[in-house]
Amino acid sequence: MINLAQKDISHTFGKFVVTAMGVGMLLGIVLIMIGVYRGLIVDATILVHDVSADIWVVQEDTLGPFAEASRIHEDLKNTLKTTQGIDKAEAMTFQNIQLYTNNKPLRVTAVGYDPFGEINPINAEHLIEGRTLKQSHYEVVVSSETGLKLNEKINLGRNQYTVVGITKKTVASSGDPLIYLSLKDAQEVQFSFSNATIRNDKARGNAQQSDLHLVNAIVCSVKKGYNIALVANDISQWKHLSTFTQDEQEEILIKNVVEKSSKQIGLFTVILVIVSTIIIGLIIYTMTLEKIKEISIMKLIGIPDSIIIKMIVQETVLLGFFAFVFGNIFSYFTYDKFPKRVILEVPDALMLFGVILVASVIASFVGVGKVVHADPTVAIGG
Amino acid sequence: MSTQQSIKIENLVKEFGKGDSLLRVIDGASFTVNKGELIALIAPSGAGKTTLLMMIGCVINPTSGTIWLGDEKVYEDKWITHNSRKIRREKIGFIFQAHYLIPFLNVIENVTLVPQTNGVSEKQAKADAMKLLEYLDIADKAYSKPSALSGGQNQRVAIARALANNPQIILADEPTAALDSARALSVIQMLKKIATEQNVAIIMVTHDERMVQRCDKIMKIENKKIVFETVDVPS
Repeated sequence: MINLAQKDISHTFGKFVVTAMGVGMLLGIVLIMIGVYRGLIVDATILVHDVSADIWVVQEDTLGPFAEASRIHEDLKNTLKTTQGIDKAEAMTFQNIQLYTNNKPLRVTAVGYDPFGEINPINAEHLIEGRTLKQSHYEVVVSSETGLKLNEKINLGRNQYTVVGITKKTVASSGDPLIYLSLKDAQEVQFSFSNATIRNDKARGNAQQSDLHLVNAIVCSVKKGYNIALVANDISQWKHLSTFTQDEQEEILIKNVVEKSSKQIGLFTVILVIVSTIIIGLIIYTMTLEKIKEISIMKLIGIPDSIIIKMIVQETVLLGFFAFVFGNIFSYFTYDKFPKRVILEVPDALMLFGVILVASVIASFVGVGKVVHADPTVAIGG
Repeated sequence: MSTQQSIKIENLVKEFGKGDSLLRVIDGASFTVNKGELIALIAPSGAGKTTLLMMIGCVINPTSGTIWLGDEKVYEDKWITHNSRKIRREKIGFIFQAHYLIPFLNVIENVTLVPQTNGVSEKQAKADAMKLLEYLDIADKAYSKPSALSGGQNQRVAIARALANNPQIILADEPTAALDSARALSVIQMLKKIATEQNVAIIMVTHDERMVQRCDKIMKIENKKIVFETVDVPS
């Protein structure tokens, strides 16, 4: 039997391809939106993954250090090290900073850690140039997202720092690139008062000293054989601190920090899929209207509706398929141009393919409706 | 119904509108057309020629009456068949003023579309179509699109399509109107040949007196009634 859809498409192939490309770009944007969502999740948890702690110890009754502010004393790490079940414990700081490089503002999240400690937040797999910190002062490791180069000097607080290492695409949950400082430097940046503030406080009779021995969290690893949840529970119960396991910290980040953003993106993606379906439906409606005379002729000479409907549905599904292919090509060549991480995953593409197939079949109903109601006498002008 | 009768119409009525705007176009038409006959249907514009043709072709609903196509009664105050389209593609061939070929199919695909829909294999349908195209002297254009053919060539393809399902009846609505005299004459000769050689009943709507003279009978619609006249063959 003649495949009418194939014949019709090859008759107007250029128009079909251009239409499929147009719809494909829309689907490409859908894929990128899904990729942005995936990227948001990865970005939100990449730092927590890289730290790879069993327990995060933070200020009591807070969801710190990412979802809420948290300040605890650095020397708590020594207490924690002696707690039963704790293997390693290190203090860390996390702070948003605005740098100026080449007179351009650059927002970063600074991670302070002890370069000589036992837990290093820099994942060796992400270190693409240089090295990790080896001195207590004036060295910085930066994410490639900052655009900074190895050995470049940057001003931070009162001091100048040298870039000694570059990590690939390490960002905070906000999407800001990470920079890594020694704990001492990071404490100074975060907790020291400016000279003006010190003078002002002295004049007010409130000459308090900067407490440079505060940190935002202490991360711990648990000895083998100990139950992480029980150890965490012991710490929060007896030391008046809040504790989170690695999974809980990830959940906090995903639920509290990026939930609204991901919902926003999810809703936008759903709207885009609906818009794509409507556009495919309109295209098929227009394509069917353009063929209404031929459809009337076919009905007049006795071709059953089933064959004509098959042509319309096949054309719609093929349009959806080619649009999906173009969408993938479009997203593949554009995803890395986006400022934030976009992750294209095969299961997402397959899911979209399924959605588009269903959407195409639904969209073809408008064309099918026209076929069913087409009057054969239209063919002869009757 | 006689074995020679291809179309038999009894008291066929067609009305449009209702109430005050009721318009009766065909009023009790009764006639028979035998196999192998080429009938010219003539009437003034708006008299109901195409309407009559489309009722015989099971395209539009009569108001009342009886229609026999071959030995099958297809209409008696309502359609007896539930699938009028099946009757069209199995028993009837249509030829129109314009060729109305499917533009995205080439010549042979246009001709084989109905037979393949009727269940004839692609190979058989193509072989039969090639014979028809050779018969109509257009086989060399078998793989051309209608857009690449002249008006006369396209009309011959349309005739091939109308013949492809071995119809008992061909309904032709002014098939020569868009053609010049020479091509029109060629088409009429072809239809006459088909009617005679393939034993097909053909009803042809025409306004052209020269074409009428080639037909076996003249059927006229006068005052909404059907009347037959003999053909005056010029000396």
